[in-house]
Amino acid sequence: MCMELQLGLALPGSDTWSRPLLKLGLYEDINVNRKKRGFDHGYLEDEFSAASFKNYEKGLVGWPPVETWRRKKLRCQVHNHMTAAENGYCGGRASNSSYVKVKMEGVVIARKIDISIHQSFETLTTTIMTMFDIFSHFPFIFGSVEENRRSFKLTYQDKEGDWLIAEDVPWRTFVRSLKCLKLIRSRG
Amino acid sequence: MQKKMAYSFPDEVLEQVFSFIQSDKDRNAVSLVCKSWDEIERWCRRKVFIGNCYAVSPRMVIRRFPEVRSIKLKGKPHFADFNLVPDGWGGYVLPWIAEMAGAYPWLEEIRLKRMVVTDESLELIAKSFKNFKVLVLFSCEGFSTDGLAAIAASCKNLRELDLRESEVDDLSGHWLAHFPETCTSLVSLNISCLRSDEVSFSALERLVGRCPNLRSLRLNRAVTLDKIANILRRAPQLVDFGTGYYAAELQPDVFSNLAGAFSSCKELKSLSGFWDVVPAYLPALYSICPRLTSLNLSYATIQSPDLIKLVSHCPRLQRLLVLDYVEDSGLEELASSCKDLQELRVFPSDPFGAEPNVSLTEQGLVAVSLGCPKLRSVLYFCRRMSNAALVTIAQNRPNLTRFRLCIIEPKTPDYLTLEPLDVGFGAIVEHCKDLRRLSLSGLLTDHVFEYIGTYGKKLEMLSVAFAGDSDLGLHHVLSGCESLRKLEIRDCPFGDKALLANAAKLETMRSLWMSSCAVSFGACKLLGQKMPKLNVEVIDETEPPDSRPESCPVDKLYIYRSVAGPRFDMPPFVWTMDEAVRILH
Repeated sequence: MCMELQLGLALPGSDTWSRPLLKLGLYEDINVNRKKRGFDHGYLEDEFSAASFKNYEKGLVGWPPVETWRRKKLRCQVHNHMTAAENGYCGGRASNSSYVKVKMEGVVIARKIDISIHQSFETLTTTIMTMFDIFSHFPFIFGSVEENRRSFKLTYQDKEGDWLIAEDVPWRTFVRSLKCLKLIRSRG
Repeated sequence: MQKKMAYSFPDEVLEQVFSFIQSDKDRNAVSLVCKSWDEIERWCRRKVFIGNCYAVSPRMVIRRFPEVRSIKLKGKPHFADFNLVPDGWGGYVLPWIAEMAGAYPWLEEIRLKRMVVTDESLELIAKSFKNFKVLVLFSCEGFSTDGLAAIAASCKNLRELDLRESEVDDLSGHWLAHFPETCTSLVSLNISCLRSDEVSFSALERLVGRCPNLRSLRLNRAVTLDKIANILRRAPQLVDFGTGYYAAELQPDVFSNLAGAFSSCKELKSLSGFWDVVPAYLPALYSICPRLTSLNLSYATIQSPDLIKLVSHCPRLQRLLVLDYVEDSGLEELASSCKDLQELRVFPSDPFGAEPNVSLTEQGLVAVSLGCPKLRSVLYFCRRMSNAALVTIAQNRPNLTRFRLCIIEPKTPDYLTLEPLDVGFGAIVEHCKDLRRLSLSGLLTDHVFEYIGTYGKKLEMLSVAFAGDSDLGLHHVLSGCESLRKLEIRDCPFGDKALLANAAKLETMRSLWMSSCAVSFGACKLLGQKMPKLNVEVIDETEPPDSRPESCPVDKLYIYRSVAGPRFDMPPFVWTMDEAVRILH
């Protein structure tokens, strides 16, 4: 019987990431008493519920159950709202390019990310960290995913060319003045 | 002998009587009475509904019902809406059109849901059916505006063209110009799904202007606010209208023109669209609000105060679709203003966000359940729930027939007690004796399924995700829910035992979907072997199921009853478990 407990910290899209709960041995007919859990269960379930369900858009296919066409339409709107806010009002078709360059400290190759589908620093940072494979390269032996996420800082270059810390400004300000992003390790 | 004759009617009389019987269920019952009734009935059946296009073959339908005028077909399973069914799975309509082209030259209506429709199919429809009147493509895909042009050009008596929620390859907006000038028969036109920026507006205007019976018109986003007034003035008889873009710089003349145009539509009862809304333009609707019975604001990213203002002008509202920007305060206002409300759907504005971005909780739903005595149908996305709230809702609204609750984070417990939500959903099924559709979410154990099996006697469709502890959960549902037709399950620890023990039940249902559960490949093969009237399909995009041990769980499983036997249009990642234990591919 395939009953191995796989830690499932691989990249999204791969089999293990998309079904973290199954890897916790739920194939057995066990009566999981939610209050008393073994260390493994407790630890892993927390990690997955924190990372994959809350912060990770691509972790779970088809959840929450919002129809694809509805999601697409809402995405277009959020984007238009943001660019429209920059232009002073809502109206007209905004340009389609909401992609910004993302670099990571120590990594040569830059990536690109669609900023319009994000509305919070948390989802943005987690997406970027996953893009750069951070979850599989830096195993979380100590502390939670949340704590490990905090060991990285998201910085951005604004229209004037200055490098700033993303979370120091409100989201809207950040999006409006954003030119490109860089993920760095927190010092201290 | 003579006594018997006195009791039988001539066929023509029976046919006349049967023509008053419209519902499929009743028609089916009629055909079971005796052979002669069956024979008469099948020759005069004009409408056929096929809930699963693979349950029967086109030839079988044609053989039994030779004089059909109207057909409705459904293809992919419901979870296809959420990307759980891979592209290419199936649901092709072309084989049906091809057969019907020869057999039903007088076919008037085709309604499809979740099917793959190609331009070739559309061209064949345009060519084959001289009296074609109604084409509804609900959540379909695979065709382009070229196919639509063929329909527009050839169908001289077209009454309805409804493309709701379909994926259309937008090659050009000029397809609309293919409607000949002689076409004046349109009653319903829904092009809201079209992306094209260049919907030929002049063609649209002319078309609308020459169709005096046009009752329902749903535009797409390309139609800007200033153009809406022009359209409305050409169709003041509209009952249902879907706006395009509802945003522009606030200009007094545009506003007053729009307000005037709306007020000239004395029959208007239903509104939708509202992409990119500028709240300042909403008061243009106030003159028609008192008549509105249906309002779809589910794309309108407007905030609670503006929503409250609008909704408070609509006392006759029966149906409201809205984003969670409405918040608890908006729903409380709804509960006090709209006493006729029957259906409420609240969609999430930020489904993937980590934190709640709006103040919408279980309180909003409780308020509506208390204030709206006619509430029957609910779809509600939120981030927290309690058993107490669910029990209150159940007690307030025993007349609920559809209850779909989605707590966004899987396995969320009662936020007050941290317990599972078994008792809350149990109250729903217990009190709402006419409940036909239920979607579960939150932290749930096998107990909730025990309640559902015990009380959910009228339940026809059940959707389950991230719930249950063991096979017992599935067993309760399959053994207890007498009216169950569709069951869809994802990410639950349900395995072989319950499925095999209730195999016979599956023949009484339309379909069962299970993904990311614990059903083994061996069990699938066994089911396929033992149950010849079921098609057991295993879907796996990563590798063939027989490349692993038989005890390994399958990724996705779709089981449906069929008299047509296994299908042969499957893609490489779908395997049918045949009765001869051949794995067909």
